[in-house]
Amino acid sequence: MNTQASDIIIESTGLVKHFGGGGLLSSPTIVRAVDGVSMAVKRGETFAIVGESGCGKSTLGRLLLRLIEPTAGDVRYEGRSILGLPPNEMRKLRREMQIIFQDPFGSLNPRMNVRDIVGEPIWLHGLAHGAEKQERVADLLRTVGLIPAHGERYPHEFSGGQRQRIGIARALAGEPKLIIGDEPVSALDVSIQAQIINLLEHLKDRFGLTLVIIAHDLAVIRHMSDRVAVMYLGEIVELSDTDDLFDDPLHPYTQALLTAIPVPSPVNRQPKPLLQGDVPSPAAPPSGCRFHTRCPHAKARCREEHPRLEAAADGRQVACHFWREIQNAGSGALTAPPASPALTKRLALYKTWRERHDKTATPGL
Amino acid sequence: MMNTSALPSMLDHTRRKSESDAAHPLLKVENLSVRFDGAPAGINVVDDVSFAVAKGRTLCIVGESGCGKSVTALALMGLLPTPPARIVGGRALFDGKDLLALPDRERADMRGNQTAMIFQEPMTSLNPVFTVGDQITEGILRHRKISKAAASERALEMLRRVRIPAPEKRMRAFPHELSGGMRQRVMIAMALANEPQLLIADEPTTALDVTIQAQIIALIHQLQKESGMAMILITHDLGVVAEVADEVVVMYAGRVVESGPVEDIFADPQHPYTIGLMGSVPSLGRRQGRLTTIPGTVPPAELMPRGCRFSPRCPFADQRCVSDPPPLIELSPGHRARCWYAPLELHREPIR
Ligand SMILES: Nc1ncnc2c1ncn2[C@@H]1O[C@H](COP(=O)(O)OP(=O)(O)OP(=O)(O)O)[C@@H](O)[C@H]1O
Ligand SMILES: Nc1ncnc2c1ncn2[C@@H]1O[C@H](COP(=O)(O)OP(=O)(O)O)[C@@H](O)[C@H]1O
Ligand code: SF4
Ligand code: SF4
Ligand SMILES: [Mg+2]
Ligand SMILES: [Mg+2]
Repeated sequence: MNTQASDIIIESTGLVKHFGGGGLLSSPTIVRAVDGVSMAVKRGETFAIVGESGCGKSTLGRLLLRLIEPTAGDVRYEGRSILGLPPNEMRKLRREMQIIFQDPFGSLNPRMNVRDIVGEPIWLHGLAHGAEKQERVADLLRTVGLIPAHGERYPHEFSGGQRQRIGIARALAGEPKLIIGDEPVSALDVSIQAQIINLLEHLKDRFGLTLVIIAHDLAVIRHMSDRVAVMYLGEIVELSDTDDLFDDPLHPYTQALLTAIPVPSPVNRQPKPLLQGDVPSPAAPPSGCRFHTRCPHAKARCREEHPRLEAAADGRQVACHFWREIQNAGSGALTAPPASPALTKRLALYKTWRERHDKTATPGL
Repeated sequence: MMNTSALPSMLDHTRRKSESDAAHPLLKVENLSVRFDGAPAGINVVDDVSFAVAKGRTLCIVGESGCGKSVTALALMGLLPTPPARIVGGRALFDGKDLLALPDRERADMRGNQTAMIFQEPMTSLNPVFTVGDQITEGILRHRKISKAAASERALEMLRRVRIPAPEKRMRAFPHELSGGMRQRVMIAMALANEPQLLIADEPTTALDVTIQAQIIALIHQLQKESGMAMILITHDLGVVAEVADEVVVMYAGRVVESGPVEDIFADPQHPYTIGLMGSVPSLGRRQGRLTTIPGTVPPAELMPRGCRFSPRCPFADQRCVSDPPPLIELSPGHRARCWYAPLELHREPIR
């Protein structure tokens, strides 16, 4: 992948979002949901944002689309700051930048039928009318693996996976260039999750999309993404190509996240070093390095001095005072157990029979 | 800060293998069937389910949502909503007594005492208006004739055992003042306060972050080792199964489709559903092309196939599968699968 400036589709610099300081709460607590995030997403890549609950992933996603206004910092889409754009220009841009949410149940208007839900962006942006619009909706439904007759039904008549397909069809309706998925598969069963992941990858190829995937499942991220940003308490602590991150995690927090993943093999069960304690409140983040209260490598300096996100090899970035020394300790890399020979053999059989099945039955994803 | 002694019992494979008290299980479920009022005739939401758990062992039940995992657990605990749910067959022998036939009174005595359950969402079983300490104390007093002070002391001890920081302070906290992981620890403390012989945990970590999930799983495992209780862990995470199970039951649409020792399930998965599930999970290693998927979804009761319930989604299905339900066949000692064509490579040619 080359790194010319023109290849950047969206980027943030020093992005900050603080909530509170007045409002409902009696004490003026300020939640530092996103605290100085700079990152750039390349056109055509799948960029993942990962971290524990409450670390600011969704807030960052909403800031990138300007669904909320930042406290400080800038967002540039195709080289141009979107923060000062007047409403009519912003509306035009919205067509190109879409979002899919985690909860397919909550994110679709229950009183609209599927045809209207999917057709709304087409109408809103004046992309087509009348019969042509209906044809587009039917096309979109087929594209996401539904059938046009589903258009007459309402969201509650669909399963979770189908609702997620409807959400995706709606996101595609405006012919976007960028789609942000905020935990798009987290609420789904693994079997349905696999269907939706394959669908997103298929659509990405077909329409040349850029994907930003917010997730907390590291296996999903490893499978789908080209690059990963790891967040902790409102900050990016590591940013790296996906394979590098999993093969050789640099930040102690990334190492801890990888260690926590259950290994899908019952042989050689090993006791593993686990991260203790909860994430501190983003209303009162620890001094210095925010991870120092849970970090097994913390030293006195970590309590006082905040580590900058600094460049490492291969275009990687890491925010830790001691990443060089810790890297030499070599902990945290993930060793994925190979699938058993019987599983490998039967999966191959399963796949070929599925393909044949799909050719003879109705095509779907 | 790092706890290296997290899962010591897992290393003890010799114990796991030799201790074959499978012949003397603590709980033996035989042909359990549950039906919802209004479902089509003959369609049970839990159908002819059998399994056994021995003292000190962990049985994992896996399957997609809607497969009947929670209904099975609720039936065993005597917590099924009746109506609409009715137990229409089977028994569950616990210590020689049939749990399903106990009078309500005896069942209630047993629950929270010899048997206990942890739910996915701790807020559903914690009372928001009482402190954590009061709730655990209350649970102890219900089953033990000891003083309030002694019960309260035991509650505090339980909070310590589930490694809640500053337990004295947390005794006075209300549930909403705690994080999700902390609430789940409180639930565990409550469930284990009376030293149950059997713990049923229904997706206890599904709502939690992976780091917290790992802490909770390690904790449950450690406490199980200390107390020697039997555990039924319901989960849809095959990684968790691989880490903690001794035995595995794979459920699909209310039926057991495969069961056996955890090593066999992973080394030699037989049922097309198990294989499809394993193929759906993204690998932790380098990417190997698109994921394998299982098409479609679990059918609702009205559309339940009469033959093999998996047939509408199974790539290997033929006319026989559609018309005749396959029996659960033992393929190797203790390893069973419900498929006409297992092992697949003997019955299904590779396609070029
Ligand atoms: N509108 C709001 N008002 C006040 N605080 C908010 C608001 N939105 C988010 N926050 C807080 O900001 C922090 C970051 O929230 P955010 O939703 O971005 O986290 P997240 O990483 O997406 O978490 P999750 O994995 O749980 O979705 C949290 O502490 C959250 O409570
Ligand atoms: N109270 C109820 N009334 C009617 N149907 C129910 C009720 N509770 C569960 N079901 C149905 O029983 C089936 C099995 O549910 P459940 O045991 O909760 O699945 P799982 O725990 O495997 O996700 C599902 O089809 C579900 O819709
Ligand atoms: S800066 Fe210190 S506390 Fe922070 S991650 Fe690095 S070693 Fe740990
Ligand atoms: S019996 Fe037939 S339909 Fe059922 S799992 Fe086996 S091959 Fe598939
Ligand atoms: Mg979020
Ligand atoms: Mg359930």
